[in-house]
Amino acid sequence: MQVSQEDARESLAAVKSVSDQTRKVVAASYASGLLILWGLIWVVGFASVHFYPRRAVYIFNTLNVIGFVATVLIFCRWPRKAATKVPASERLFWRICGFWLLLFAYALLWIVLFKPADGMQICTFTCTLAMFGYVVLGLWLGSYFMLWLGLAVTALTFFGHYVLPSYFFLWMSAAGGGALLGTGLYIRVRWR
Amino acid sequence: MSSLVTLDPGEQIDFTYLRDLLKLTDGNLGAHLAKLENIGYIRIEKTFVARKPRTFISATGKGRDAFDAHVAALEQILKGSQE
Repeated sequence: MQVSQEDARESLAAVKSVSDQTRKVVAASYASGLLILWGLIWVVGFASVHFYPRRAVYIFNTLNVIGFVATVLIFCRWPRKAATKVPASERLFWRICGFWLLLFAYALLWIVLFKPADGMQICTFTCTLAMFGYVVLGLWLGSYFMLWLGLAVTALTFFGHYVLPSYFFLWMSAAGGGALLGTGLYIRVRWR
Repeated sequence: MSSLVTLDPGEQIDFTYLRDLLKLTDGNLGAHLAKLENIGYIRIEKTFVARKPRTFISATGKGRDAFDAHVAALEQILKGSQE
């Protein structure tokens, strides 16, 4: 069978389109719930800390416990909702070990270089650490939205830290939490 | 096949997600998959998740090789047009 150049071009475009769509559907099935959850926690938590700075530890301890329990619940429901299934393998085990090792190395480097001490520095540290996790996962899963979201929120965090120190927590609520929440909602609505 | 090859080796996609992604009916997708399974390009696993039946599909090594060769052939045709 003779395939024309036009047919070849269309076939390759279709292959790329289906491939991109598959990545999005898979990402939507696992990421949107977690992004919405943690986006909400950031929005509520950072805004509360801005208005009640003395209760920062209590606010974030409470929200982190809620977030942790909700994350566990999402993971428990995962097999019922996930688009894909990855069989347990030695490769997966080493990838997960590598992920945590990278996160640990990033945290160590951050602490050595910047020596976070006050509330705002610790907040910048934890936010960029979480976003570094997004970047690593994005590279691992070939999921560019996670990679770019991680880089974007890291940049927004540093911007707030250095340019808007007086409104840092409010900035993190709107920009950081808003970015996570907005991305989660966008994925849920548009990528399914 | 392009959808299945996008996934990591061994990773399986749920039938309903694949059906919605490709905008096909159950019967239509089932017929395509049966042909691909018969020539060894894909593996179909029927299982139960939370007591509900689910079907997962993955590309085999043979299927991935055939798909890569197909894409390479298409790229070669395009390259030929540019030379």
